[in-house]
Amino acid sequence: MRKIKSQLIYNLKKDKGSYISFGIVVLITAIMLNLAFVLLFQVDKAYDDKFNRLNTASFNFTILKIQNDDTLKEDIRALDDVVDIECREAVFAEAVVKDFRDTDFSMNTLFYNKDEFRNMNKLDIKEEKAEMTDNSIYLPLYVSAFGEFGIDDEIVYEIGDTKHSFKVSGVAEEMQYGNYGKGLMGAYLPEKVYEKFAEEYKEQTVMEYSVITNGDINTLQNEISDLTEKKGITMLTSCDRVSTKDTRTMVCNLIILVLSAFAMIILLVSVFLCKFRISNSIEEDMVNMGVLKALGYTGNMIIAGVVLPYLMVTVFASLSGVVLSYSVLPVLAEILTLQAGFSFALSFDIKGLICVMIILAVIVSLFTYTSAKRIRKLQPINAIRGNGEGKSVKKNYFPLDETNGRTKFLLVMKQTFSNGKQNVLLFGVSFVLTILVAFAGTMFYNVIIEPDNFISTLSEEMPQIIISPDMEQEDFISDELKSNTEIKSVLKYAVGTVNTDDMPVTVFACEDFSRVSNDLCYLGENPDEKNEIALGSAFEGKYDIGDRIEMHNGDISHFYEVTGFVQSVNYQGNVCEFSLEGYEMLCSEKLVPALYVYLDNPADTEKIFKEIEETYSDKIISIMNYQKMTETTQEMYSGITSVIVVVIFILTILIVLFVLYIVIKTLLVKRKQELGIYKAIGYSNRQLMIQTIGSFLPSSVIAVLLSSALGMIYVPKINQFIFETIGAMKNNMEVSFVFLMIFAFVQITANLIISILLTKPIKKISAYALIKEG
Amino acid sequence: MKDVLISAKSLKKEFYTGETSQTIFENLTLDIYKGDFTIIMGASGAGKSTLMYSLSGMDRPTSGSIVFSDKEITEYNDDELAVFRRKNCGFVFQQIYLLEKMSLMDNVLTAGALCNDNKKDVIKRAKELFSLVNIPEITQKKFSTQVSGGEAQRAGIVRAVINKPSVVFADEPTGALNSNNSEAVLNVFTKLHREGQSIIMVTHDKKTALRGNRVLYIRDGQIFGDCDLGNYSETDNERERKLDRFLTEMGW
Repeated sequence: MRKIKSQLIYNLKKDKGSYISFGIVVLITAIMLNLAFVLLFQVDKAYDDKFNRLNTASFNFTILKIQNDDTLKEDIRALDDVVDIECREAVFAEAVVKDFRDTDFSMNTLFYNKDEFRNMNKLDIKEEKAEMTDNSIYLPLYVSAFGEFGIDDEIVYEIGDTKHSFKVSGVAEEMQYGNYGKGLMGAYLPEKVYEKFAEEYKEQTVMEYSVITNGDINTLQNEISDLTEKKGITMLTSCDRVSTKDTRTMVCNLIILVLSAFAMIILLVSVFLCKFRISNSIEEDMVNMGVLKALGYTGNMIIAGVVLPYLMVTVFASLSGVVLSYSVLPVLAEILTLQAGFSFALSFDIKGLICVMIILAVIVSLFTYTSAKRIRKLQPINAIRGNGEGKSVKKNYFPLDETNGRTKFLLVMKQTFSNGKQNVLLFGVSFVLTILVAFAGTMFYNVIIEPDNFISTLSEEMPQIIISPDMEQEDFISDELKSNTEIKSVLKYAVGTVNTDDMPVTVFACEDFSRVSNDLCYLGENPDEKNEIALGSAFEGKYDIGDRIEMHNGDISHFYEVTGFVQSVNYQGNVCEFSLEGYEMLCSEKLVPALYVYLDNPADTEKIFKEIEETYSDKIISIMNYQKMTETTQEMYSGITSVIVVVIFILTILIVLFVLYIVIKTLLVKRKQELGIYKAIGYSNRQLMIQTIGSFLPSSVIAVLLSSALGMIYVPKINQFIFETIGAMKNNMEVSFVFLMIFAFVQITANLIISILLTKPIKKISAYALIKEG
Repeated sequence: MKDVLISAKSLKKEFYTGETSQTIFENLTLDIYKGDFTIIMGASGAGKSTLMYSLSGMDRPTSGSIVFSDKEITEYNDDELAVFRRKNCGFVFQQIYLLEKMSLMDNVLTAGALCNDNKKDVIKRAKELFSLVNIPEITQKKFSTQVSGGEAQRAGIVRAVINKPSVVFADEPTGALNSNNSEAVLNVFTKLHREGQSIIMVTHDKKTALRGNRVLYIRDGQIFGDCDLGNYSETDNERERKLDRFLTEMGW
């Protein structure tokens, strides 16, 4: 080590700028990788710890209290692998939460008696008031944090046409439901408040069964489903620990995926960079290496002198990156808590640190070593003569006397082709970075410019207004609204729940699926006839198009033919589609679908919402400004996306800056004498700057344009992959060629500005210094 | 009466190393005449090259004035000096300094493109000049690393004169060549001089100095001596004796 110490210090000093640039790229990679690792190692564990600490059930289901059978509990307890079971009463309601982030939020809610003893599905009270009122309520963390309801705030639940106003007296964390994606939420009332509430909703009182199993969750579900079916009991709601966890950690998993992918791309860039720098420094230092070999240094000692500085920079930058990442983690944890509905603290993770260090050090060592190993073959005398592995025969690209074209242009071409390695590097780096920009740009386009594309991918049908009319008034209101010139269309649409294999399935029923604004069908067709059904993605694999499936609702059951498959991110694909007639066949009473109103100009929603509300106040049960709700969701995503896009853009520009810095600096060092000669024969600084920039910028410009254009092909595939992981089999993300090109031009402009700034040192190269130094 | 091509007045050149300075020449006044083959001689470190590069606009004097073809070049900025050099100066260096990634022909055309947009004309002149310096077409296509030092230096001379400069500045052009190659290179300079080309050459070598018609000797930061040798002739031994006497007087 002592023998190579001086060499190592010489290398570090000689190329400070390049090592710093390389170090910063590694640092960015380390930040991203460590964020991904900490999330990967800790969120899952934090979830499971909290899940276990609150003794959360593996499977919860509800049945109407009137259907409850005293033997059910014992029968379930007798099932294989069942560890524990608990029953409690609750009130189930399809409620609308008013002023949820300034809008109305439709949410299936189970109202519980908070004071009832809980052995399972315990509540972790995060905040509470000492004194209760006669309308106190404890909200789950998700509703409180995301809906922006604090202690002492008023929250209004609208059930049917009755509004219930509660005062928030506490916030509870639970692991049973979690977030909106589950389509089901809890609310916890003090005993006295609950008793009064339950009295009012006797018919909607349900029994909740919570079961803990050591075995397979699907087996348990099937066994319970067989039991209830035999007893003629219908499940109203159900949720299992697997799908709940998937929903609550969806965004976290997505972030881990994106961070890892970005880190890998940047890592790729950094190893390209060190490979490039090493092969150039071998050329620059060949004479010195020859002298060292002549003095008796072995090839491996010289290689170590080249590789070790990169390894040292990698280790230092990785450690710094890991440390820096911890300043970002609390912000990330806060965002994730909002979405996941459970709080967790991310702490220092030694496993993450080790993984980051190993990955970066191993990859960098591997690349640097393979780049530097040709040093071993250098013959000392050839190296001293500057010939390297032997006299290289160069090709005279574009001989000026034989090639048509202006000499000054041909000079640029000559340089471009004689610096092949550098241009390949720039092409590769620019191409890869453009993938990041194209992806981020497309996200920006679909979330900010055309937000419906993004929201509709994650949501179901998206009208501007939803009206629940009185049964007798439905056709009248529908006809009147259709005659309104500002209204584009009115669609009868119903959302409900039915069962298959005695498991609850959310229903979307529509009078005409060809007129919906968000076609959920990704395979086959939507149902058209009354005996047809389209199943959610959760059923794909179990059923094929053309199969028949039996659906139940209470005592009524029918067979339907599967026409296709539909997606639903919010219900994890546990949905189905019927025609209105098809759904009606399963309803014991006349079905009164809601009226989905679509406007010519969604910006008029508030105005028309008020007009309808005033005009038909006595003919409707409820009315919802759905546009506002969509905007609220959109607001949340647009905030996150804007941050992501800005971060990606800054990162890209930073990386481009460092890459260009290394490339241009290498170029200027290599060409110092050449540039001096050009200056001596009368070339101006401007000409030389243009010539130099012209020799490397085209490869980067071509890469950016090509990668942006190819974005039309690869961005949909990336989107497809990402959205499929969260259950959106079909995404509505649009890839705008114009937008990709706009981003490409912004990137090219940034590259040009950076190049101009970095080639300015050409001015300092003096022709006279060339003679003095020569 | 000869026309003055370059007129330098009260030139001073100082070099700074940290806080210490070294004066190379001071209050130096000199005229260079059109059509002359001027030789600058002097001891090592006397400031021969520094003076020559100051006169050519390649380096800037610390103070004083240089009027080149009636233009005060000390006031030019870097880019103006570059334009001035491309039109008025040709350079031949001891280390030759051809662009390594280019053939000899491309080296010449790279310089030629600066002053003439008509590529055909430039190629034609380059070929004529290559023929003048005895470099065959096949050698013109080779890289500088693939030819002899003499061939490379002759190509350097072609590059220096491609734009018909007012003056060719040559800094010890034979310093790195063997005697045969030196002779060939000097013959080219003589040929150019006979065709009316003004040349300023720095040399240590008496034999090389004989090619010039005027020899300046620089000592103690001043033009210490100025010797008119008359035009070069291979058979004129009197010139050699005159130069010997002059150099002895100068303390050579």
